[in-house]
Amino acid sequence: MANNTLTYSPSPHVKKPTSTRAIMIDVCIALLPACVMGVIYFGINALLLLLISVVSAVLSEYVYLLIVGKKTKEIIREFDFTSCVTGLLIGMSIGVNYPLYTPIFGSAFAIVVVKMLFGGTGKNLVNPAVTGRIFIFISFQTVVGNWILPSSGAITGATILPGTPEMPGLLCGVLPSISNLDLFLGVGVAGCIGETCKLALIVGGIYLAIRGVINIIYPIIYIAVAGLFAVLLNKFDFAFFLPSILSGGLMLGAIFMATDYTTTPNTTKGNIIYFVCLGLLTTGLRFATQMETVSFAILLMNLIVPLIDKFVINRPFGYKKKVKGENK
Amino acid sequence: MANYKKIAVDGLVKNNPTLKLVLGTCPTLALTTMAMNGIGMGLAVTFVLMCSNAIISLLRKVIPNQVRIPAFVLIIATFVTIVRLVLDKLLPDIYESLGIYLPLIVVNCIILARAESFASKNSVLPSIADGLFMGLGFTLALTLMGAFREILGSGQLFGVKLFNFSIDFFSSSAGAFFTFAIFIAFFSYISNKIANHNKLKAQLKSNYDALNKVANKDPIKEND
Repeated sequence: MANNTLTYSPSPHVKKPTSTRAIMIDVCIALLPACVMGVIYFGINALLLLLISVVSAVLSEYVYLLIVGKKTKEIIREFDFTSCVTGLLIGMSIGVNYPLYTPIFGSAFAIVVVKMLFGGTGKNLVNPAVTGRIFIFISFQTVVGNWILPSSGAITGATILPGTPEMPGLLCGVLPSISNLDLFLGVGVAGCIGETCKLALIVGGIYLAIRGVINIIYPIIYIAVAGLFAVLLNKFDFAFFLPSILSGGLMLGAIFMATDYTTTPNTTKGNIIYFVCLGLLTTGLRFATQMETVSFAILLMNLIVPLIDKFVINRPFGYKKKVKGENK
Repeated sequence: MANYKKIAVDGLVKNNPTLKLVLGTCPTLALTTMAMNGIGMGLAVTFVLMCSNAIISLLRKVIPNQVRIPAFVLIIATFVTIVRLVLDKLLPDIYESLGIYLPLIVVNCIILARAESFASKNSVLPSIADGLFMGLGFTLALTLMGAFREILGSGQLFGVKLFNFSIDFFSSSAGAFFTFAIFIAFFSYISNKIANHNKLKAQLKSNYDALNKVANKDPIKEND
């Protein structure tokens, strides 16, 4: 090239030093407290499940790239921790009594089908972790059966519906027998590995917000709308607000899964619509199906994001809205 | 003289009704939970397709163009009724498992499409051959998809338990779409590879022939 002082480049001219890799490492760090709490509550099997799901996610990405024809050196150089995050989220969103092979299938499905076949990081249509979780849920629920209580290890009985880890009868108009504080800390709560300790999840969320990775307002909108809608559906009984937002995978989904960059709208207005709809959909579906529906709600809304992006457009600077009846 | 080899390749591979033309997707998605269903449905469609193609081809100069669709449907419905009555009597299990999709063969796009695009333009024997190979292509695709979904979705093949492990996703309807997409992708990949290979071969051959021609011509020129 000639020694030219002018450089030509396409549009993002002002660049930040943050990279995908840095952001994803931040997300991994933010997920760690919840993982640690999950391992403490559910024992060594939880750690094993988390490790298997992370390793299989990374490996399936590696194998896919090898098949596509990339060199190992190149793959390692370009490795951004997205598959790590996906694997970790999948591991966190399954119960501890799942057989050890289940996360392998979930991670492989999430990475290969949902992410890589659509073009890799940043091009996926739906959140890989959510889809992987749903894949596991659909495929192996019959094998697994019920949710398991931490420490005691006893399988929870008929009081808890399959798929409703911490919401025994909550939506039928009966408050849970577990206190709000226990729900918040995850003590004695049955559920997925990473979703029982809400405190750890919130700490992770605050870390992400401070690092500027996510906008903390959006998860708050999601959680608040979900809680308020539960109150509304239970005839304005505010006792339902805290249990409904502290139970199930709502925190995990709201903070870590719904805020995925690729699958959220581009505009502020679009984002608000997206998260409000998520809240309504989550509680509405919970009420209708008596199941934990956070992941299904996120999957559905992810599919609607392109539509939101199409119709909710920022007003360009200086553009005036046409007044009705005015001639051109 | 009709080219029967071309008809066979068209039906089984090049214009495979399920994987290339993407016709008749409704039974494809709904019935492929088991390989046996695929065979039953495929053979029923093959029979109807052969018979209807034969009759439509015979009547192709009689049926007026404006009312051809009702006429075709009437002919197809006749054979579907025959298949239904026979299956009900002889193979009640398969009749049960095919359910509503058996009478719905009447409106199956494959049969109407073949009637419209082949049987109404060709003579009887090629039309029967076309029906046979199109039907076999459909049967093959359905059986393979059924086997794939049966093995992964319930750990068995043709009702025989293979192993005690299953991924329920593949026997659900989401798994049907997923399997269908994967099959189409692989089929297109392989058939594109073969097509490219054949193209290359033909090109090489034509180059070689041209060279030979030049080489043979040269001495004649010198003689002149």
